[in-house]
Parts: sequence; C-alpha cells; structure tokens
Amino acid sequence: MCFYIILEKKQVMKMIRYEVKKVFSKTGGKIALLMLTGMLILVCFLTVKSVEYVDEQGVSRSGIAAARRLREDKNKWAGEITEDVLIEVLQKNREINASKEYQSTDYRENDKAYARKQGFSDIRDMINHAFTAFREYDYYRVDSVTDEEVGSFYERRIAGLNDWLYSEEAKDIYSEEEKEFLLTKYQELKTPFYYEYADGWKAFSEYAPTLIMLTVLILGFPVSGIFANEIQLKADAIFFSAKLGRNKAVLSKIGAGILMITGIYWVMVLLYSAVVFAILGTGGAGCAIQTGLGGWKSFYHITYLQEYLLIIFGGYLGSLFMLTLAMFLSASTRSAILAVTVPFVLLFIPSFLNDISALSKVLGLLPDQLLQMGQAAAFFNLYHPGGKVTGALPIIMTLYPILFAAMLPVLYHVYRKTQIQ
Amino acid sequence: MKIELDHLTKNFGEFTAVDHISLAMNNGVYGLLGVNGAGKTTLMRMLCTLLRPTEGTIYCNGRDIWEMDSEYRSLLGYLPQEFGFYPEFSVQDYLLYIAALKGIRPVVAKKRVKELLVKVGLAKAAAHKMKKLSGGMKRRAGIAQAMLNDPQILILDEPTAGLDPNERIRFRNLISELAEERLVLLSTHIVSDVEYIANEIWMMQEGRIVHQGTAKKIIDSMPEAVWECMVEKRMVSVFAKKYKISNMKTDQDGAILRIISQGKPCEQAKRAEATLEDVFLYYFGEKAGDENDTI
Ligand SMILES: Nc1ncnc2c1ncn2[C@@H]1O[C@H](COP(=O)(O)OP(=O)(O)OP(=O)(O)O)[C@@H](O)[C@H]1O
Ligand SMILES: [Mg+2]
Repeated sequence: MCFYIILEKKQVMKMIRYEVKKVFSKTGGKIALLMLTGMLILVCFLTVKSVEYVDEQGVSRSGIAAARRLREDKNKWAGEITEDVLIEVLQKNREINASKEYQSTDYRENDKAYARKQGFSDIRDMINHAFTAFREYDYYRVDSVTDEEVGSFYERRIAGLNDWLYSEEAKDIYSEEEKEFLLTKYQELKTPFYYEYADGWKAFSEYAPTLIMLTVLILGFPVSGIFANEIQLKADAIFFSAKLGRNKAVLSKIGAGILMITGIYWVMVLLYSAVVFAILGTGGAGCAIQTGLGGWKSFYHITYLQEYLLIIFGGYLGSLFMLTLAMFLSASTRSAILAVTVPFVLLFIPSFLNDISALSKVLGLLPDQLLQMGQAAAFFNLYHPGGKVTGALPIIMTLYPILFAAMLPVLYHVYRKTQIQ
Repeated sequence: MKIELDHLTKNFGEFTAVDHISLAMNNGVYGLLGVNGAGKTTLMRMLCTLLRPTEGTIYCNGRDIWEMDSEYRSLLGYLPQEFGFYPEFSVQDYLLYIAALKGIRPVVAKKRVKELLVKVGLAKAAAHKMKKLSGGMKRRAGIAQAMLNDPQILILDEPTAGLDPNERIRFRNLISELAEERLVLLSTHIVSDVEYIANEIWMMQEGRIVHQGTAKKIIDSMPEAVWECMVEKRMVSVFAKKYKISNMKTDQDGAILRIISQGKPCEQAKRAEATLEDVFLYYFGEKAGDENDTI
C-alpha cells in the first residue's frame, strides 16, 4: 500500500517536471525568466536609490554607505518619543531654521541645512501629521508648533480622526458603531511610540507592490500556457487518450502551476528582501508602522516586521489566486489569450475605478489588495462580517484562501472533461 | 480483446459525422477506408474516449469504455491524424514523458523507450529535438509513443499520410509487425495501405460503414467488371464522362484506361482482375476521374 503511494507520488512528480520543462523550453518561457530577472534588478535598484542621505555638503547619496550614515543619524533619536524628545526636535528644528544655510536663497545651502535635520526628519513628519487636519499634510507645520502644545502629540492624532469623522466629508460615510471602532483603535495604540531607523522596511513596503505585481503579470504568460499548450500544439489527443491523461496528468498540471508560482514568487521576494535589507539594514523591525509617513493613520496595530510578513504572505496568496484564476480560464477556454489578461484586468481595473467612492468598499476587497498589503493597511474601509466591525485585511486574508482552494477542484474537473473536437 | 460499437453516433449540430454504427472487432488488423470527411477521425476519437458519442456506446470486453475510464485507456495506443508533440523535447524525453502519462514506471519506461527507438529506427536520433525530425521520422516517433504501453488496442489515424513511397512501405511493414496479438484499427484513404495488411476492411461513407469484409469479399461484391483498353488521347474525356476510370496511363500512341463497367466499354477492351482500388473507386469515386490520388 505504502509502496504504491510512493510510486504514484513519484509518477506525479515526474510529470510535474516535464510540465515545467514544457513551459521553460519554449522561447516564451525563457523570455519570461529573463524579464523577471531584469525586473528584479531594476526594482532593487529603485528601492535602494529611494533611500537618500544628504551629506554635510548638501549632496544626496544612496547605497550601502549612505544608508549606514543615515541610520547613524536617525538612531541618535532612537527610543520612545516622549514629550521631552518632541520638544528637543522642535528646538533643534528652530535652531536650524535660524541658520544662514536655511535662510539662504541658494538651494544648495538649503540642502546643507536639511542634512542637519534628517536625523529627526521622521519625527518631524509625525509632528506635521499630528498638527494638521486629518486629510491634509503640511510640511512646514512643525515650524509653528510650540513647545507647550507639542505634548498633546498623541491626543492630536486621535482628535484629528475624531474631527474628520464628524466633518461634512465623512459624517455620513461611517455609522456610529464604525466611528466608535476607529476611535477605539486609535486610542488603543500603545504610546509613546518607540522610534528607530526603519528605512529598509519602509522602502521595502513602498516598492514591494511593484515587484509583486510585475511578477504576477509576467508569470501569467507561462502559467496560462500550462493548460493551453496541449491544445495549441495539438498534443491533446495523445495527452487525453493516455492512461493518466484525465486524472493524474491533470493533477500534475495543477501541481506544476502552483510549483511555478510558488517557486518563482518566493525566489523573487526573498532575493529582493535580501538585497534591500543587506543594503538598507533591518533596523526598526519592532517599531509600529504608525511611526512612518505611510502608516501614521493606519488602524492596524502592527510592527514593520509584521507588515513585512503581511506583504509577502498576502502577495503570495494574491499571486496564487490570480494565477490560478488564469489557469482556470486557460483550461476552460482552451486558449492562453484570455487567460493572460486576467492579472492585467484584476490589477488595472480597480485603479481606474478608484475615484468612484461608492465602489471603495468593494475595491477594498479585490484581490489586487493582496499584492499591496502595506497600502491596504492604510485604507479606511470597514465591513461587518457576522455583525462585528473590521477592516479589509482580515476579510481578504480569509476570503482568498477559500476561493483559491475552491478553484482547484473546479479547475481539475473542467480540464479533465476536455473533449477533442 | 473485443470491441463492440453499439449504434455509435456523433452529431455536430445538425450534421451527422458518424451515423449509427454497430460493429464488433477482435484481434487483427482492421482497415478503415473512406474519402475525406467520411467520419473516420470522428469514429476513432470516440474509440479513444476523446469525444463523447451523441448516441450509442462502445464496449470493451463487454464493459462500457467510459465507465472503465483509465483502465480502458491503459489498453490503448493512439496515433492521431494530426500528430502534435512538444517541439523542444528530444525524442527520448518526449517518449519518456508519454510513458509517464501512460503510467509506466520510470525503470520500465527507460527500457521500453530504448527498445522502441531501435524498432522504429530512431535510435540514432534519440537526442534530436522533435522539431528537427523529418516528416517520416515524426510519424515513427508517433508510432513509438503509441506502442509504449504495449497496447492491446492500437488506433492509427492515417499513419502513412504525407510519407514518400519508400517510407510508406517501411511503415506498412512496421505496422504488420506490430499487429500481432492485438487489435489494430487504421484509417486511410490510400487503398494500397490496407489492401495487404488488413484482415478486414471497412468502407466508410458519410458516417456509415457501407461495406465490410476481407479484401476478397469486398472485391467480389462489386457487381461490375474491370476492363483495360487503349484509346486515342482525344477520346479520354468521352470515356471519362461515361465510365468510372480507375486508372489512366498515357504514352505517344494513346492512353491505356482502366474502366469499371458492366459491359465491354469498347471493341478491343480486355477483362482485368479487379483490385481493391477499383472497388474503392467504384463505390466512392465520381465519374470524370477525380480520384487520381489513389495511386
Ligand atoms: N468538431 C467538429 N465540428 C463540426 N464538424 C466536424 C467536427 N469534426 C468533424 N466534423 C465534420 O465531420 C465530418 C467527418 O470528419 P472526420 O474528420 O471524421 O472525417 P475523416 O474521415 O477523418 O476525413 P479525412 O480523411 O479528411 O481525415 C466532416 O464533414 C467534418 O467536417
Ligand atoms: Mg481524418
């Protein structure tokens, strides 16, 4: 019995190997691999380039050395952001504002002044956020915040939300229960924040969606080919008349698809992570995402490390879902043409519909969100599954695994029933 | 091995491609003969479970082949009319992959592939890519894949189409050799392919089997006679309008016609022995001799 199971497993594994070989022996498959490699290099480059250090001369630099110096500068401010720290930031800021470099009309002189501010630039950003209206951002707000009022920093975050929730713009969007939910979330966030240099994580979460989306788009081509190539090559007659053609061979096609998605996705994401963190560092893993510009408003209480995990696993789930859908379409239409457009449609249609606020709740649950979990964590869509208020993330993280799992048997049955006309 | 077709029918919309065929086959070689569009491929696809019949069933040793599912397919070897393969695979890899699809254990598959490559004369080309093979070599790779599981039922759809005469004869011999101890069904519209190797011939027309039996029986069933006579070239069209001409050979003096006719078509005509080709033409051919491809 055991012997047979091992034997059958070996059979399927062997067929999976051939399926993968079929895909990558074709020129199209090779081009896809080349494109993935090129894209990975490009996104790594852009990510690393996005973290800049301005030296004493006012010159912007990026790379390993620059990141290290930025880290050193920022980590002088590492620790809990208490009132004392905030006052110190204000004083330092005022001091630099008074300098002749800052006052100069020459932008190079201004850059020299900035060089001295960048150590506390993240904290400065937070103060700007806390002291401007919820939906606005004023880069110079910090210059007019007084030492007396800066102590209300954390209360202002909550008050800003409260003001917005009851403003003309938002008062009808959320029910009382939802407003309560959001305010409670804000109040529950542990203060004072712990701050540290975390630019590696921030840069990762900014550029990871680009990498993940492009991976999915490119992978759509080889993956759709798995189910369409038999028909395209007219090899289907032999395939389906073979003993295992309508059972294990179909399983191994599905297996090959999932293997390709899994293998390539993780190679891309892990190589990308390795490059980004090797150059920009992994410091700040334990900081709350609210300590950065992107996460300030989020009502999800997670650290950068947790956000990273959310991004990479959400991305994997989204890739599995979208590409399995593409496989399903190529199996049922017997052509790869429609199937390769699946990821394109799923990724680009939502961004066209973005401006229609009536759709925003639906858009928040679409699978493209899985490929950009960092951004999704900052959205304010609320839902009521089972009477409880919740954000979109828990919903999509349960919905899509279920949909993915449900698609597999359907895919199997659709392909297995193929007739050769 | 016994295959029975029971009122087997396939409609494509209004069109009936296979029309209530009921037949039985045992071991031996069956030649399915019919003009283009007769329904040969459709019939074979149903025999390979690639196409569901609209009506009727197929039994293998008394069991419905669709219920037998993979058990039936494990008995099956099929060379389709349009033989598609994976162009970038080497011949060896291609065969190993099909062996895997057929559920043959890797160790056995390796041995079997080696044997078959020798048998079909592709041993030297084992490492060549499939796309680089000549038409004849591709067919031989096709036959090899069909034979991988040592099938009890071997179905070959126009296995000799597009081959040069030499290759065709070699192929015919190969098929005869492979035909022992199994049921072979091969389709063709080239009469000479089946004349020698088929034990039983089925003549198919518009989805129905119109004549069946040994070559001799079918030849004897023709109610008209075959004549050969020499005519002037300008007379050829006159004869062609009046009679079915199964062959024509021209030289300086005139044309030698092979005419199928009840009575003597002209004074100097001599009776000739009827061949299967004549019969094919008699049943399926049209007057005005358009069947020149039945070499
Ligand atoms: N999928 C289909 N849809 C509609 N009609 C079809 C389909 N497949 C076959 N036919 C029709 O059924 C008839 C029989 O086709 P089939 O391919 O079985 O003939 P055949 O005897 O194999 O011909 P050939 O010698 O040209 O291979 C033809 O008229 C063809 O047009
Ligand atoms: Mg045909």
